[in-house]
Amino acid sequence: MNGLRPSIVMAYWALTLVLFGVAIGAATFYAPTEQTMGDIQRIFYLHLPAALCMFAACGVVFLASIGYVWQRSDRWDNLAHGAAWVVVVFCSIVLATGMIWARYAWGHWWTWSPRLTFSLILWVLFAVYLALRPTLEPLSRRALISALYGIVAFLDVPLVYLSVKLLPDIHPASVELDPAMRVTLVLWCLPMAMLCAGLIFHRSRRYARARATDESDQPVPPLGRQMHA
Amino acid sequence: MSTLRHALGLAAKDLRQEWRAPHALTLTVMTGVLMVVVLALGLGPTGAAHAGGAGAILWTAFLFAGALCFEKTMSAEREDDALSALLLAPIDRSAIFFGKFLSNLVLVIALVLVVTPVGVVLLRLDISGVWAEFSAVAALSVIGFSAAGTLFAGLLGGSRRGSGVLALALLALSLPLVLVSTQLIDRIVARAPASGPGVPVLVAFDAVFLVAGWLAFEPGLESRGAT
Repeated sequence: MNGLRPSIVMAYWALTLVLFGVAIGAATFYAPTEQTMGDIQRIFYLHLPAALCMFAACGVVFLASIGYVWQRSDRWDNLAHGAAWVVVVFCSIVLATGMIWARYAWGHWWTWSPRLTFSLILWVLFAVYLALRPTLEPLSRRALISALYGIVAFLDVPLVYLSVKLLPDIHPASVELDPAMRVTLVLWCLPMAMLCAGLIFHRSRRYARARATDESDQPVPPLGRQMHA
Repeated sequence: MSTLRHALGLAAKDLRQEWRAPHALTLTVMTGVLMVVVLALGLGPTGAAHAGGAGAILWTAFLFAGALCFEKTMSAEREDDALSALLLAPIDRSAIFFGKFLSNLVLVIALVLVVTPVGVVLLRLDISGVWAEFSAVAALSVIGFSAAGTLFAGLLGGSRRGSGVLALALLALSLPLVLVSTQLIDRIVARAPASGPGVPVLVAFDAVFLVAGWLAFEPGLESRGAT
């Protein structure tokens, strides 16, 4: 998306929109009604792809953060920042759809099941990443501290995954899908992945433009170089 | 060996300073005690007698008081540009992290040693006969918490702009530690059998943050520059 012609960008988003239309149609008319949960089960086709995209965006934050610490290039910081924003958005979708599911399946908007708790903690980790950034200056320090936080937050993810296993689980361990449901799920995964990738690049580009116009960027050399100047 | 010696020397310097003028320790311990009192009051006489949730109350006190402690100990290095002098000293930079970690660990242990009896009394927490298990979980928890707090105090704390954000980052990153620790404490108090990945997760958390602190503390401190 960086430096791409507007026509290509428009075509990308148009295709994403079309694929969403196909996915919504499949979830509404093609996928059969699930026997136990009824129509509310269809929210699963949004829930699972959103969760997969959320994990992918977490991985982008991690790799881009490592890239920044290694090369100290602003592109990596913009990418990490954009991906963190997408993590929070997709995690919000996962939480919202999970809560709707919980309300109809178990009668409560919230249960401390491992998966919901895991999603909540993930949301907190990356929302804090976004909240921290504006408090740090100059931009070079902001980028480095954010990158270090991003790496540590990603390393925290498996610990969160293991820690929530201590909680009692009422979430179904596995879901049996018939062929039509699997097709519908795949049809949802594609536009969600395109939305995720498109948003990451769009936000990265936006942060790069903001960085270029930010007058507060006074790079501070490492302490050792200051004393020897 | 010299890194260990320097780290112990730095920790001894901080603790000696704290012994002479216990500002951080007083603030930390009083905040911890007050949090337990407030939460116990909020639960009321009936609720406070309930053993379930005692781990959460104790951890709430440790988290907030601990964040204050880490902020205070790091901000002390800003006075008279002591941090710049420390960075210019001819020692391995990792000794600075481990020295600060050790001094913070001692202060947090002091916090736990004071706040836990308060919790035992006000919350009617019965840990007789399970002292060893309770102490082991508490020890593993405070090691990881102190490592995370030391790392992020170095990155974020001790500066005007960083004030307050240390608690934000520390609370978020410590959530798996809090989750496991409170679950384990509640099981110990209820004399329920231990199951699940509790202790290995605590050990893994400690390892992650000690290694992350060792690697990230130096570049984070150097980026502070003139701030």
